[in-house]
Amino acid sequence: MASESSFVPDLTSPAQYVEAIPYETMARLRAEPGLVWHPYEKSGFWAVTRHADVKAVSANSAVFSSGIGHTNLWDLEADALEARRSIIDTDAPDHTRLRRLVSKAFTPRNIRAWEATTRSIARELLDDYVAAGGGDWVEMVAAPLPIRVILAVLGVPVDDADYLVELSNYLVEGTGDQPSLPPDAFGNTTELRLLPFGSPASHALFEYGEQLGMARRLEPQEDIVTMLVLAEDDGDKLSHSEYRNLFHVLIFAGNETTRTAITHGAMALAEFPEQLQWLREHPDKIDQAVEEILRWATPVLHMRRTAAVDTELAGTHIAAGDKVVMWYASANRDPEVFDDPFVFDLSRESNPHFAFGGGGSHFCLGAFLARMEIQIFLEELIASDVDLRPTEPAKRIGSNFVHGVLSVDFEVEARTP
Amino acid sequence: MNSDNNMTGDGPVNNDSVTLTVDTTICVGIGQCEMLEPEVFFIDDEAISTVVDGATLPADRAARVIERCPSGAISIVPLSDDDSPA
Repeated sequence: MASESSFVPDLTSPAQYVEAIPYETMARLRAEPGLVWHPYEKSGFWAVTRHADVKAVSANSAVFSSGIGHTNLWDLEADALEARRSIIDTDAPDHTRLRRLVSKAFTPRNIRAWEATTRSIARELLDDYVAAGGGDWVEMVAAPLPIRVILAVLGVPVDDADYLVELSNYLVEGTGDQPSLPPDAFGNTTELRLLPFGSPASHALFEYGEQLGMARRLEPQEDIVTMLVLAEDDGDKLSHSEYRNLFHVLIFAGNETTRTAITHGAMALAEFPEQLQWLREHPDKIDQAVEEILRWATPVLHMRRTAAVDTELAGTHIAAGDKVVMWYASANRDPEVFDDPFVFDLSRESNPHFAFGGGGSHFCLGAFLARMEIQIFLEELIASDVDLRPTEPAKRIGSNFVHGVLSVDFEVEARTP
Repeated sequence: MNSDNNMTGDGPVNNDSVTLTVDTTICVGIGQCEMLEPEVFFIDDEAISTVVDGATLPADRAARVIERCPSGAISIVPLSDDDSPA
């Protein structure tokens, strides 16, 4: 399985991500002929770093499976895999059934119905932020905005937003190397290996989803949670384990990733205020500004697939059972596709980024919701008529999976005309 | 490429104009088509993309929406002599 190259890359050590994404290693990997075998734990994976190769893997879910093994780097025992299996770690036809159950709620047309709600949340958070003269952007704006929006969309009581942000923070921590929760936190008695991200916070999120589901059975509402529990009661549409894991994914992915995009977006606008000025002068270009923030942020750094059969990619033989890891963070800086990929350029017109994955049936469910939230954040930031000034470097998460930021402070500066 | 989509002429449909179809066995209702071409595509209640009756697109926009469909579910309906619009 070893590749020809003697180059031994390291994209996985979590600690390096506290400083930055290892872009130089990615550039070197992209320049290698074929794919490079990347050591990991007792074995390794094929590192897929070129834009074209990420696209090819994403498009072929029959060969590059999400359901064999799972979609994170490490292996899970069979019982853990079953207990933790979500829509993300599922192949057709189960994936198709799950996806169609929730797709309708997240289409562009239906997401537009949440625009006014999103704008009023963004307005309130930014008003408070400006009134305070700035502060921790993550805590005050980037975290509360997406969690409040996804709770509204799902039909989860907004009073529980802080608790669910707290759980999400612990889940992110579970992707890094220094989890802080004791195994019995939140009254957890389940073995950690059976819980998503190996975190007791997953137990708490499951419990929360169970209780909310029971409440919606007693008093159905016009919301996604009610729709899901009715689908579960219908028998063959959704199993109980699928309900628990789907609720978990919707809450976690619905807030953590957009939080990251809005944070990296704000950091870039603070560092390059001329870009924000350009957008003020070109309000009709807001769509492409949103796409550039998505490319720049790349909230999810990679996803893994597992070869279902012997195959070949970029001239490299891949054996059935090999892990194949798509590095979106690398594809989004591939100079074959993006001119000056390390330049944050809101005027970029061609921007086929992989912030929502490389295409295929697992394309991000929340893509249109995320785009709308980022667009409204930009519009309302412009309406505030302020600049953000960096004060000290961001505190980044040591995770090779999410491009997370724990906190970042800005000062708010009124614009001088 | 000419994006004129005028179908009132007397000949067969404008060369630039094509009809699209969705493979309903692989569409999972992501909605990229609905975002790009809301006049042509509609995600139905079963979360499957549906082409609005009679809707066509200029070839360049058709190529874009085919390329951007994450599931690869969209294709051009081959034009036969029988079903070209009068």
